[in-house]
Amino acid sequence: MASNYKPALPWRTAARIAWRELQASRAKFLFVLLSVAIGVAALTGVRGFSLSFQKALLTQARSLMAGDLSARMFRQTTAKEDQQLNALASNGIDRTMVTETVSMASVKGDPVPLLVSLKVVDPAKYPFYGSMALDPVGDLRAALTDSTVVVDDNLLVRLRARVGDELKIGGRYFRIAAVIVREPDRMMAGVGLGPRVMLTRQAVMETGLLQQGSRATERYLLKIDTTKQSVADTRAAVEKILPDAQITDFRETNPALTDGLDRATGLLSLICLVAMVLGAIGVAMAMRAHLQQRIEILAIMKSIGARSADILRIYLLQTLFLGLVGGLIGVVLGLGVEYAFPLLLGKLLPIRPDIRLPLKPVLAALGTGVLTTVLFCLPPLLDVRRVRPIAVLRKMVESSEGRRGWLERLRERKLQLLAIVLIVAGLGGIAAALSDSMLVGRWFAIALTALLIVILALSAITLRLLRAFLAKTRLHLHSAVRHGLANLYRPGNQSSAVLAALGTGVMLILSVFIMQRSIVRELHAGASPNTPNIFMIDISPEELLGVKSLLAKQGIGSEKLETVPVVSGRIASIDGVAADALKVKNYPKRLLNSVTLTWADAVPLGVKVAEGKWWHSGSDAELAVADRVAKRLNLKPGSQVVFIAGDKEIPVKVAAIYKADGGHAFARSEFVLPSGLLKDQPTIWYGAVHVTPAQIPEMERALFAVYPTVTVINISDILLTIQGVVDQITIVIQFLAGFSILSGAIILASSVASTRFRRIREVVVLKTLGATRNRIAAVFSIEFVFLGLLAGMVGALFANLLSRVLLHRMDVVFRWDVKWTLIAILGTAILAVVTGWIASFRLLGQRPLEVLREE
Amino acid sequence: MIEVRGLKKSIRNGTRTVEILRGIDLLIPQGQFVAIMGASGSGKSTLLGLLAGLDSPTEGEVLLDGVAISGLEEDRLAEVRGKKIGFVFQSYQLIPTLTAFENVLLPHELNAVGDGKKKAAALLETVGLKERMHHYPVQLSGGEQQRVALARAFVVEPPIVLADEPTGNLDSTNGQHVLELLTDRQRESGTTLVMVTHDPQIAARADRQIHLRDGLVVADELVAERV
Repeated sequence: MASNYKPALPWRTAARIAWRELQASRAKFLFVLLSVAIGVAALTGVRGFSLSFQKALLTQARSLMAGDLSARMFRQTTAKEDQQLNALASNGIDRTMVTETVSMASVKGDPVPLLVSLKVVDPAKYPFYGSMALDPVGDLRAALTDSTVVVDDNLLVRLRARVGDELKIGGRYFRIAAVIVREPDRMMAGVGLGPRVMLTRQAVMETGLLQQGSRATERYLLKIDTTKQSVADTRAAVEKILPDAQITDFRETNPALTDGLDRATGLLSLICLVAMVLGAIGVAMAMRAHLQQRIEILAIMKSIGARSADILRIYLLQTLFLGLVGGLIGVVLGLGVEYAFPLLLGKLLPIRPDIRLPLKPVLAALGTGVLTTVLFCLPPLLDVRRVRPIAVLRKMVESSEGRRGWLERLRERKLQLLAIVLIVAGLGGIAAALSDSMLVGRWFAIALTALLIVILALSAITLRLLRAFLAKTRLHLHSAVRHGLANLYRPGNQSSAVLAALGTGVMLILSVFIMQRSIVRELHAGASPNTPNIFMIDISPEELLGVKSLLAKQGIGSEKLETVPVVSGRIASIDGVAADALKVKNYPKRLLNSVTLTWADAVPLGVKVAEGKWWHSGSDAELAVADRVAKRLNLKPGSQVVFIAGDKEIPVKVAAIYKADGGHAFARSEFVLPSGLLKDQPTIWYGAVHVTPAQIPEMERALFAVYPTVTVINISDILLTIQGVVDQITIVIQFLAGFSILSGAIILASSVASTRFRRIREVVVLKTLGATRNRIAAVFSIEFVFLGLLAGMVGALFANLLSRVLLHRMDVVFRWDVKWTLIAILGTAILAVVTGWIASFRLLGQRPLEVLREE
Repeated sequence: MIEVRGLKKSIRNGTRTVEILRGIDLLIPQGQFVAIMGASGSGKSTLLGLLAGLDSPTEGEVLLDGVAISGLEEDRLAEVRGKKIGFVFQSYQLIPTLTAFENVLLPHELNAVGDGKKKAAALLETVGLKERMHHYPVQLSGGEQQRVALARAFVVEPPIVLADEPTGNLDSTNGQHVLELLTDRQRESGTTLVMVTHDPQIAARADRQIHLRDGLVVADELVAERV
């Protein structure tokens, strides 16, 4: 009896056929390889850099902290705490204090002062690990004495000073002994407000800069003799002594930084994934076009007994090969991306890691590349099932599909639909793995799928509208324009997919750009003529009157000056619950131990009462709380809060919740009390005033001459610093978003390459009909220009919509930027023309007869 | 008038040089209908391509109305082709993205001045496609596509029309129809028609038959003389 068993096509044979086909269409598959490589390169670069960076953090952990353990707080230790810390020394624990604050500094001969970041250290002990690199080369102990400072080169540039010059800080002169080349624990300080100036504790005490209530950060660095006491035990002991301190030990390698790095890596990986998905769509498109061109060969194979599964083996192997080789090319390119990263991040990067190619991110990117490619190629691959052997005899056999209803066609393609579900699920899984969050993965997959569907639909609609327009007007158009536009609808062109892919890239890059510009514009918009642009901090009560009269002499009346008194305190209880037992949202408990209190008997400028009422008498036991703090501490009008300031307990009832706008002196206040409750406490004053830009240097000079310990912050300087950070982050995101544009361009190139034979034929027919090279070039250029223009328009539309939504969520005003939208659209058109012609290499030089003979 | 002097064409096939045409001399007067016949590989299509300036000869010359086209640079050659030659291919070679009407209009737009729309419409009407002139090639049958190609070949009223097996892809009814249209049009306009064909019945309608074998003319006779 005959058996139904039929052996499958051996994998070896399938591989041989797959390989020969690939070799026969090398030029076409080159773009496919690049499609995969782009996404893998971006991902390898981002994740490789992140891991290299993390490794650097780990290996240099002690140096980066300059100690084994760091305890950071916003006040000085009490005598009792000092005593307890001293007691730790018996266990082999050494300790040094680092103080960071801001101040004004100037050099002789140029009295306009500059805001600087002061760092007060004890050179005998600091740093416990790592080393200070100075120029001229030397030891910190030798360079830093009580009469010298070491400074950032940036300070020298801005003050036009040199090593050896005298620097005036807080009324005293210090000689600049050296320039800081490297400071081991620089990143513990974050982004400074001004260039670094390092000096000794004795020196700073003489300046009078540090006083009770000054805005300074204290950091205790501990060096632990682990033979006597473990890091964990020491940490526990310090946590007990300084409950309000933020404690980090070297094993955590800077948790804030690593958390930030993890989040940034996740976010940037997802941007890379967009490029990868676009690349995979490109591969799928190329595979579909490839299979369509091979329908006759597939039909021949089927007519001699091959089953769909046998044919699938060939093309699955081909896809896997393309994914893998493209991925490997991507890994090599990824190394370049990894190298580019430190350059892009510039000064945001606290350390320069050694760039290596770690195996884990390489495998992750390669795996993601192959998986994405295979997933997206499933629907076109499954199409081989629909090729009928009769196509050997009749080419038009498949055209009967057009008469069937869409429901029937859908039913026929249920496997493809299943594949699409698999793609979305796979995408979600990959996104979840890259971002380390199931939730992010799910939303990313849903959002990206929805976006691609909408953008694809919009692209298709745009093309249809253009076609309708063309049908009505075509005979009135110049013939080259008409021909070029008509070519958008060339069979096999896949114009809507190209539009969608290129459009998505444009959307990404333009959204980032629009958001950056809006945020920067918003930053500057805050500095309107009526809001203060100069802030003064650390004014002692004794200096306050003097400062006011000095400003009055400068023509700045007291009605313009906003002042805020600041008293340090802590929260003892809320609604009867002790601070230790409170459950608070997104509010580090240790901060309850260090709060700033202020007073105002009327609603201050720039403050709006959102709930409740402000008090009438300065002696009422009431409180107004900033809305952001109220939300986190769960405070409502009527809540009872007990503060402790100095030794005094201050019980108050919440009377008002307020919103403060960022432009006034009270913007940073959190708790406002009636004056009667705080006036007897040690107070530091802050001031804010609007000064015309021309007046600023004179005012700074006059103030610095008389009150050198009062720090003046010029908002426009701060804005420049913030803008610098925003710009730098934008560059990184745009760099990665650029990969999506590249993917879009490669898809265009691939589409052009896959229609190469049709284009060649068109060229020779046109030549036969008497068309010159210029004419043919014009026709193709018009096709590419319009493709680019349409993609640019689709991308720009979505970029504006997306950034509008995101900016709205960030409370930033969105404004339609016509100029940059137009530049983006034109830029896309130029990119499309360049890409189109690169992919049309040697098209115009075809000899007609050779092509026509190949019929 | 077409004049061919000592025309040779060889191509390299790997390490081998293949001689396709081995020295052809011809003189085709204005208005003559010439059928070029021969077995597959005899050099018919190559000769036709060289007459149209689609390729350059290895040796020899092609003169159209006394102008040697072999040495012309590409754009000048395109201009000569556009003004002097209409071409009909075996597989139609219409531009798929343009309608039938636009395909016919295209040579006029490329080579002639003035509005060719009326002429294009009239030609389409002559070939019986008045109702289908705004259809795309893909919406037309093979016979209809070849009729569009015919109209396209005549739109600039070229003195010469070259046809490479124009009925080769058509069934006999459509083939007959296309042939009649082509010869009628040729007679009416006094165009020189050079047609490559395998079909002796078609060749029988020509004024002159040229037989090629292995790249050489082996017979060149006027049909009337034979009869």
